[in-house]
Amino acid sequence: MRDQLDVVPDAILAGRAADGDTAAFESLARRYGPHMRAAARRLTGSYADADDVVQEVLVQAWQQLDTLREPAAVKGWLLRLTGSRSIDLLRRRRNHASLTTADGEAPADTVSPGAGPETAAVASAGIDSLKAALSALPEEQRRCWILKEINGQSYEEIARTLNISPASVRGRLARARITLVREMEDWR
Amino acid sequence: MSMPNDTFECGHTLEELSLYLDTGEFPDPPHLESCPECRNGLDSLRRLSAAGDELFASDLAAAGSGTDDWLKDILANLALELRPGRSIPLSSDDPADTLSETEGSIVALVRSVADSQPGAVAGKVRLEGDVTVPGSPVAVRLDLAVLFGHALMASAASLRQDLAEALARHTELNISAIDITITDVIDAPREES
Repeated sequence: MRDQLDVVPDAILAGRAADGDTAAFESLARRYGPHMRAAARRLTGSYADADDVVQEVLVQAWQQLDTLREPAAVKGWLLRLTGSRSIDLLRRRRNHASLTTADGEAPADTVSPGAGPETAAVASAGIDSLKAALSALPEEQRRCWILKEINGQSYEEIARTLNISPASVRGRLARARITLVREMEDWR
Repeated sequence: MSMPNDTFECGHTLEELSLYLDTGEFPDPPHLESCPECRNGLDSLRRLSAAGDELFASDLAAAGSGTDDWLKDILANLALELRPGRSIPLSSDDPADTLSETEGSIVALVRSVADSQPGAVAGKVRLEGDVTVPGSPVAVRLDLAVLFGHALMASAASLRQDLAEALARHTELNISAIDITITDVIDAPREES
């Protein structure tokens, strides 16, 4: 049965999970857990926090699945929940800044020493230079960019997640891209 | 550096180009064909977008697989509560006894009967009607995915019969209809991973 669940469309799994089928819910979690984890890591910059976010989102998703109007849209929904939880966590962390330094883990965006312009230019793909440029962005721009490019959220969805207007999202995203393009092209 | 200013000499801005890439909206689309600055800007934004895709692919690979221990640990900690649904009364020989079964258990029964059909996977199951009142007509509605290569009509007919038998055996519901909606035909090889 598990093999079959792994090949059926999201809507089937979401419908079953809303009915209380834990196997279908776990299949959904296997399907999108890595994407959720990747997005949460990039947003929070912490491996441990990211796994906490994924766990919280799965609990929330199980409780609220029956409110999901369009079961086929479950992937976007899970990622939006992941984005919101990650942002919540960042806000809590800012309020308790002294506690987070005890975490001891390097943020995901931390650039290793020596990965400056010269060595980054050698990296063919530009991932390293993008990571470095991303970590230097103002926080609000960085969040907009990640929610758009890693989470695949629309301007309106990002606006709701960040509690700002869609026009602000458009502006911040554009400024983020302008800075990233400049930083990356400087290094070419 | 190819972009000294946010606003080009043609008067357009990178913000407009950024929006154009996401939405296809631009005040003067033909301009994009002819303006070297705008084309240059679009090229840069597209390269950034490609780098973003690479970063995502790399992040996703680093996040591991859905079958890895990290996710198993998370799932093991979830303690998902049951969804019993409505309570469905059952008759009893002794009037002092109150017997019932949960809607959730009947939904699970329907799912399990559907899943046991070759090539069939149940989706959402609904019991429509007042199941809390003995004898009220109840319609069973079921979404079904069928794996490619299995005969749809034969599957649905034999499933309807199996469901009717199972519901008669395990419940006292007055089943007025069994509606099966085939929502998906899955064009994927089975047992391949």
